[in-house]
Amino acid sequence: MSVAIAPQPARRLSAAARAVFTSVPPSVLLSFVVVAIVLLWALFPGLFTSYSAVLGNTATKFEGPSAQHWFGTDDLGRDEFARVVHGAGPSVGTALVAVGIGLFAGGLIGLLAGFFGGWVDAVLGRLVDTLLAIPYFLLAVVIVVGLGFDTINAAIATGISSVAIFARLMRAEVLKVRHSVFVESSYLQGGSRGYVLFRHVLPNAYRSVLALSVLQLGQAIIVIAALAFLGYGSPPPASDWGELVSAGQSYATAPWLVYCPAIVIVLTVLSINRISRWLRKTN
Amino acid sequence: MTDVALLASDQLPGPAPGSWSRGRPYFVYALQRLAQAVVVIILAYALSFVLITVLPGNAIATVLGNPETGLSPAQVKNVESYYGVTKPVVVQLWLALTRFAQGQLGVSLVTHQTVTSLIAGALPYTLKLAGTALLISLILAAVIAYGSQYLPGKWARSVLRSAPSLFLSVPNFIIGLLLIREFSFQLHTFDVLSPDSPVGTFFAALALAIPICAPLAEVLIANLDRESGQEYVLVARSRGLTQAKLFARHLVKPSMLPAVTMAALIVGELMGGAIITEEVFGRNGIGSVMYQAVSQQDTPVLQGVVALAAVVFVVVNLLADLVAPLLDPRVRLTGGARREVAAA
Repeated sequence: MSVAIAPQPARRLSAAARAVFTSVPPSVLLSFVVVAIVLLWALFPGLFTSYSAVLGNTATKFEGPSAQHWFGTDDLGRDEFARVVHGAGPSVGTALVAVGIGLFAGGLIGLLAGFFGGWVDAVLGRLVDTLLAIPYFLLAVVIVVGLGFDTINAAIATGISSVAIFARLMRAEVLKVRHSVFVESSYLQGGSRGYVLFRHVLPNAYRSVLALSVLQLGQAIIVIAALAFLGYGSPPPASDWGELVSAGQSYATAPWLVYCPAIVIVLTVLSINRISRWLRKTN
Repeated sequence: MTDVALLASDQLPGPAPGSWSRGRPYFVYALQRLAQAVVVIILAYALSFVLITVLPGNAIATVLGNPETGLSPAQVKNVESYYGVTKPVVVQLWLALTRFAQGQLGVSLVTHQTVTSLIAGALPYTLKLAGTALLISLILAAVIAYGSQYLPGKWARSVLRSAPSLFLSVPNFIIGLLLIREFSFQLHTFDVLSPDSPVGTFFAALALAIPICAPLAEVLIANLDRESGQEYVLVARSRGLTQAKLFARHLVKPSMLPAVTMAALIVGELMGGAIITEEVFGRNGIGSVMYQAVSQQDTPVLQGVVALAAVVFVVVNLLADLVAPLLDPRVRLTGGARREVAAA
């Protein structure tokens, strides 16, 4: 954190922008391309496929991948690529919701605990310990059971499960800044708590929290896919990626029904993790 | 889980306020840590109770209202009064907590067995799976870490270095399905899907181990990178130590400390992963007990599983925290302070 001495936010941004255009490794650029494509699938699925994700032609069922059906067709003759593209929304969009929940709630808890210390820290610390005591995936299952089986509920559950992780990092970051010399001097110059918070603490914490958010996005995709795989997502004919893998598993003669959605999940998460790693390195 | 790598790198500023620090009597720290663990277990149980019971849809009432449970009206009344279904939530929570403190986890709404006996019956299967997976992931992590340092060829080393991030990107249900597909359907040679055969256990454990070994390998690699730049390594090498001996004697040992603190997190990941792995491979165990409890809305069983997971997690965490300061060689420097405390 050599830039910690309160640089102008604008200068920080432009420096970041310059870094993006000059020194991005090719693998990171490729990762950005993959993520962009998946996000476009989620936003405008109709632009990428003319097939329906719900209605199929039973005359063409269980066809292998071809120029017409890139990912083949499933047991009802539906185009698997169309199902994957239309599934991007519920699989990746919901992961964004999950990270948003974790980031907001966890960030707030960590901020309060680290900034105020004392009994606030003690109480919030036990809350975080409690959330951490239940394994991440198990907690998500319990919450989704409570809320009801639906993809958006799976996302909420995933988000709540990650609150503790965000809180812990945010607290550590805040503590790191709070005891630094420039914060002390800011107080001495008459800076209020709120001023110090927004001027020094948050700007310094944001980089590592951003890296964690991106990392958690990948994890959220995995957890939501796993919940959908177990059948805790939206019921058919929804085509969440986890559900596609689960459905494809029943047909031993049509391996593409497992491999295609599985490869899409892995490529997406791999790209997101690569971006997160790069963000952390350039910290 | 993956935040481990993030935290292990250089994120944490010194010891966290809750951890042991020099000059603080060790046994006071141990007692405090123990009390904290008990509090967290109770809170976790209360939290899971609140999540399961208070969220929309009172499952106990729904299940009991279903005529297919085969319970007579008198039995329904009995179960209702046991769980205090008709009473306010706070009373229900109090009932559940006092029973939990006495080690009672309630009775299954579906099979009418006690939750404790259900879990006790399933636990050995999960322990076998998780134990094997832990072993495999430790071996895998060590192999990856060793290879990342000493494999001939920069290319091979960088491939190994990127292995952990690849492993982290593959959901374990996909690994499981691929293993089943490749080894069971294609090769027809192995009994991948037979839960009792060692081969079946091996493949299920492998699917569970691969995502788990990744953060472990990352931490090991990061530590080895740091430690191998230290002067004592150069000295040891100049004494003519072979690479393997150097690795085992001088590099693995300093890397043990972060590995021990990670053990707790790995246990949590093992339990979460076992749920999916058991379902994918069709195995018995805690995961399948939970899976059935969810599909049958058998909330006492579900809560029992959560309680078990929380207890295991907290206890392992506690042990790791108690052992970690003792593993740190710097602690010996302050041995005098500790002796004073013992004498006082």
